[in-house]
Amino acid sequence: MRYRNIGLVVACGLVSFFGTLFAQKPFKEWPAIEYNDFPLPQDYQQKADWTRARLRYPDIYGYPDNPRLVMRDGSPFPGYWTMDYPRSDRHLLQGVRRLTRIDTKSVEQVVSLDGTDEIYNWPVLYAVEVGHWKLPADQAAQLREYLLRGGFLMVDDFHGSNARDHYVNDGQNINEWQVFTDSMSLVFPDRQIEDIPNGDPIFHVLYDLQDRFQVPGAQYFETGITYEKGPTGKPPHWRCIRDDRGRIMVAICHNMDLGDAWEHSDEPQYLEKWASLAYRIAMNYFIYDLSH
Amino acid sequence: MFEFLFKYPSQVFSRGTFVLLSSWPMWLFGVGLVIVGAGLAWLVWRPGSPRAAGTDSPRMGGVRSVAVWLMQTAMAALLLFLLWHPALSVATLKPQQNIVAVVVDDSESMSIADEGSSTRRDAAVNVLNSSLIKELQGNFQVRLYRMSDHLERIEKLDQVTAQGQATHIGESLKQVVDDAASLPIGAVVLLSDGADNSGGIDLDTISEIRRQRIPVHTIGFGKEKLSHDLEITDAEVPPRALPDSRLSAMVHLHQHGYAGQKVKINVKEDGKILNSQEITLKADGVEQVEQVLFSAGPAGVKTVQIYVDPLASEENTRNNLVTELVSVDDRKPRILYFEGEPRWEFKFLRRAVEDDKTIRLTTDLRTTQDKMYRQLLSDQDANVDLVDGFPTKVQELFQYEGLILGSVDQAYLKPEQQMLIHQFVDRRGGGLLLLGGKDSLADGGYQNSGLNDLLPVVLPERKSKTYVIDAADVELSKEGRESLITRLDEDPEKNAEHWKKLPYLMNFQDPGTPKPGATVLAYSIPRGGGGGKLPLLIIQPFGLGRTAVFATAGSWRWQMLQPVSNMDHEMFYRQLLRWLVNDTPKRVTGSTPKSVISDISNIKLRAEVRDTTYLPAGDATVTAHILGPDGISEMVDMRPEPLELGVYSADYSAPKEGSYAVEISAKRGTEDLGSDTISFRREDGVAEHFHVEQNRELLEKLSSETGGRYYRPDEAGKLAKDITYSEAGITVRETRDLWDMPVIFLLIAGLRAAEWTLRRSWGVI
Repeated sequence: MRYRNIGLVVACGLVSFFGTLFAQKPFKEWPAIEYNDFPLPQDYQQKADWTRARLRYPDIYGYPDNPRLVMRDGSPFPGYWTMDYPRSDRHLLQGVRRLTRIDTKSVEQVVSLDGTDEIYNWPVLYAVEVGHWKLPADQAAQLREYLLRGGFLMVDDFHGSNARDHYVNDGQNINEWQVFTDSMSLVFPDRQIEDIPNGDPIFHVLYDLQDRFQVPGAQYFETGITYEKGPTGKPPHWRCIRDDRGRIMVAICHNMDLGDAWEHSDEPQYLEKWASLAYRIAMNYFIYDLSH
Repeated sequence: MFEFLFKYPSQVFSRGTFVLLSSWPMWLFGVGLVIVGAGLAWLVWRPGSPRAAGTDSPRMGGVRSVAVWLMQTAMAALLLFLLWHPALSVATLKPQQNIVAVVVDDSESMSIADEGSSTRRDAAVNVLNSSLIKELQGNFQVRLYRMSDHLERIEKLDQVTAQGQATHIGESLKQVVDDAASLPIGAVVLLSDGADNSGGIDLDTISEIRRQRIPVHTIGFGKEKLSHDLEITDAEVPPRALPDSRLSAMVHLHQHGYAGQKVKINVKEDGKILNSQEITLKADGVEQVEQVLFSAGPAGVKTVQIYVDPLASEENTRNNLVTELVSVDDRKPRILYFEGEPRWEFKFLRRAVEDDKTIRLTTDLRTTQDKMYRQLLSDQDANVDLVDGFPTKVQELFQYEGLILGSVDQAYLKPEQQMLIHQFVDRRGGGLLLLGGKDSLADGGYQNSGLNDLLPVVLPERKSKTYVIDAADVELSKEGRESLITRLDEDPEKNAEHWKKLPYLMNFQDPGTPKPGATVLAYSIPRGGGGGKLPLLIIQPFGLGRTAVFATAGSWRWQMLQPVSNMDHEMFYRQLLRWLVNDTPKRVTGSTPKSVISDISNIKLRAEVRDTTYLPAGDATVTAHILGPDGISEMVDMRPEPLELGVYSADYSAPKEGSYAVEISAKRGTEDLGSDTISFRREDGVAEHFHVEQNRELLEKLSSETGGRYYRPDEAGKLAKDITYSEAGITVRETRDLWDMPVIFLLIAGLRAAEWTLRRSWGVI
C-alpha cells in the first residue's frame, strides 16, 4: 500500500509537471514601474480555474522595441502596462476570493498579443493606462479575434479627451481618449463605443451600482482632487463595446483609476468608499463576463 | 423411388396408423422367433458340424458362424412377422364427396417474371391447367380462390391477374377454415410465392387449421434468391425529434449480385435531398446496417424517403425505397442549469446554446456564498419559481425537461432536493447532466449522496482530489465515434480524428468506473500522464430518464482556442443538451408501433398518461381525435390496458391511403391532464415489392404444421394422389397391406445374397 501511495504521488507529480509544460505558460513576474519587490503570495503556485490576465501592450513611447527608454535609475522602461502592477492585481484577486465564489489564483497572468495562442487561455483581460497604448495592426487583429471568440477586456486609468490639458516630459501633448480609440478602432473599425446605461445587467449582476461616482487615482494624495487631465477628465465615463448580441465585450472605465483603488485599498488615506466601489465594479464586471 | 419401394406414397405412412390384421397374439411371435433361432443355432453349431467352433474347419469358426446365424435368424424373423399380416390404417377422402380448395396467390409479387420466361402467376396457372385441376376434379369438387389481402372465390383462372396489393396468407386461410365449418373441405392447395406481408401466419390460424385437420399443400413459385437485387428491408428513424436536430436513420439492407459495389443511400424530404452517404455493399445475402444522418429541419410532420438509386440490371427496383414519418415537435424543452461557482465553463456553455432556438436554458448561478444570479428567459419569468434557490417542490422542478448540475457540493442540496432530482430522472423521465468541477462528483461528495445511484459511474473513494487543473486531450470511444452526441463529423473515422485535433481540455476529473449499462463516449487523456485515460463523457438510461457525466470544466478551450467561425463547442453542447431532453416525455405521450403502415389498415394507438406529479393516471378519460385524408374526422375512445397502469390503447382502421394526425387528450374529471399529437401514414401498393423472393421456409412450415406437403412446380403432378389422404371432410378409413411391399422381397433376397457372398469369400462354398 505504501508503495502504491508513493506511485500515486509520483504519477500526480509527473502529470502536474508535464501538464504545466504542455498547457498554459507558467506564471512569471515582470519588472514594473512602481514595484519590483512586491512579495509573492505563499500560494502563488496553487492552481485554480480562473484568474484575471493583465495585457502587456506596446505603448506610444516605443515600449518594448525602443532600448533607449530607461527609468531614472537606468533600468529599462518596463512599459505603461505595468502601472500599479502587481500590487493592484494581488489586492484585487484577494477581493475576488473574498467577495465571490470564483475559484481564482492569487496571482495575475501577464499576457501579450504576440501571435501565439497563449492569450486565448485567459478569457478575461485587464489593460491599464490605455491612453498610452499603441497596438500595431497584427496585435489589434488578434485582440479582435480574442474578443469575438468570447474574451472580455476591461480598460482603466486613462483620463481626459483634450490634448492641451496633458503635458508630458518630452513636451508631447496627449489626448488619452484619442490614443485609446486610435488603437481600439483598429480592433473594431465598425463598432461604436457607447455609454453603459444604468439599467444594464453589468451594474446589477452582483451589486446594484446605479449610484456611481468617480474613483480617483493616487494623485489625490498629493493634489486633493479626484480628477486628472483637466476639465475633460472630470466626468467618469462607464462605456463599452458590445458584440453582435449586445453583450459587453470591452468595458471602458474612462476618467477613473480603479487600478489605483485596488492598489491602495489597504491604505487608510485612500477613502473606503472609492475602494469599495472599485471592488464592486470589478466583481460585477467579472460576474457579468462569466455569466454572459 | 419411395413409392416404388414401399408401394404407397409417403403420405400414407405419415398419416396412417400401423396395424396387425392377424388375430394371433404377439407373444406367439416371440415364442416362434426363439424356437426358430434355437433351431438355426443347432444347425450351425451342432456337434460334428464342420461349422462348429473348435473343429477342424477354421474357415467357419468364431465370428463368421455368428454372422451366418444372425442373417438366417433375421430372415426367418421377417418371414414369421409377415404371418401376422402387417398393414396401415389410413383415412382417405371419399371420392366426389369432398371439396378441395385451390387458392392462387393473386398479389402483385406474382407478376414477377422469374419462372423461366414466364411470371409466377402464369407458372401457377400452367400447373393447374396442365393436369392438376383435371386430376383433382376426377375425385373431388374443386373450388377456386384468389388470394391477396383478402380471399375471393373465382370461377376461372383468368380472374387471377396478380394485381393484389398485399399478401395475407393467414387471413385468407382463416376464411377457408371458416368455410370448412359448413363445407366438406378435405384439403387446401395453395399456389403462392409465400411473400406474405402481414407479419406472418398467426398461431391461432395454424391451430384452427390443425384442429379441423385440413392439410394445406403448398406449391412454391419464384426464385428463392434474386440474382440481382438490392432491398432496403427497414429503416429505423426516431418518430419524434426536436426542430433542427440531427437525426440518425439506421438503414437495414441486403443485396444479391452487387457485393463490393459502392452505392449511395439518400435521404429525401419533400423533393429535397437531405443527405447522401456512400457505402460499400457487403457479401450477397448478408444483412447490412448503415447509419445515415440528416437534419430534422423545422417543426412539422416530415415524410422522409430513404432510398438507393436503381442499380444496373436490378430485377426489382421498387424495394430500394422506404418511407418513414418523423414528427418534428414544435416544443422548446426547458433545462435548468444550476451552477455552484462563476466559471468559464458556465459562460461558454450558455453561449454555446444561446443560438439554439429549441433549447430554453434557465441558469441559476451561485455568485457568492448567499447570492444567486438567475437568468431567465423573458417568456417564462412568470412561471418560474426559483426565488428560494434550487427547487424544493415537484411542480417547480418537473416543469423542466433537463437538469445540469455544475460545480455544486452535494451538501448544498438538501436530502429532499436530492430525492426530488432522483424522482425527476426516474419518474419524470428528465435528463440529468453533471459537469466536472472542484465541487463536483467525488470532490463534491456525491458518492455519499442520494444522487449516487443516478450516476452512470461508481465514483472513486479516494481522499485526494479527483479534479485536476491540467491539460488533457480527448479521444472518442468506439461508441462515441457513432454517437449523435459527439458527432462533429458525419464519417465516424473522420469524427474520431476531429476529436483528436480538438484543443486540449483545461482540466479533467476522475469520474471513477462506468457502471454496467453505462456507455463511455469519450475519454480524457492527461498530458504527461503516460497515455492513461479516464472516462470523460459517460451516459446511461435511468428509469424513464437518462443521466450523463461530463468530467471536465475545461471544454471552453474548444471555443477560445479555435477561430470564431469554428462551431465544435457549440455543436457538441447543443447535441448533448438535445440528447438530454429529446426523450423526456410529456404528461400525455402518444405512439403507434409504426409511423407508416404499408397495405394494411389496422393500427394500434397507444397513450401513456400521467398526472401533474407524473404518476401514472389509471383513472383518466382518454380520447383520440383522428383527422385523415378526404376530411376524415373521427373520435375514438381509448381503453386502459389491463396490465399497464396509465396506458391506454385503441385499435383503429385507417380507411384510406394518406396521412393521419391523431390528437390524444386526457382528462381526469374536469382536470385537463394534457394532450399529444402523433401522426401516421397509410401507404398502399408498397408491401408487394419487398421480400419478393419465394418464402419457401414459410410455405414448408405451413405445410408441415398442417399435415400437408410442400411441392416444387415440377412435383405438382404427385399432389393429386397425395391429397387423397386426409382426415378432414368426408373420409373413409382403409387398410393397406404391407406384406407385398417390394422392399420386403428385396430385404429377404438381400439377406440371402449377403450370406452367399460371405460364404464365397470365406471359401466354404
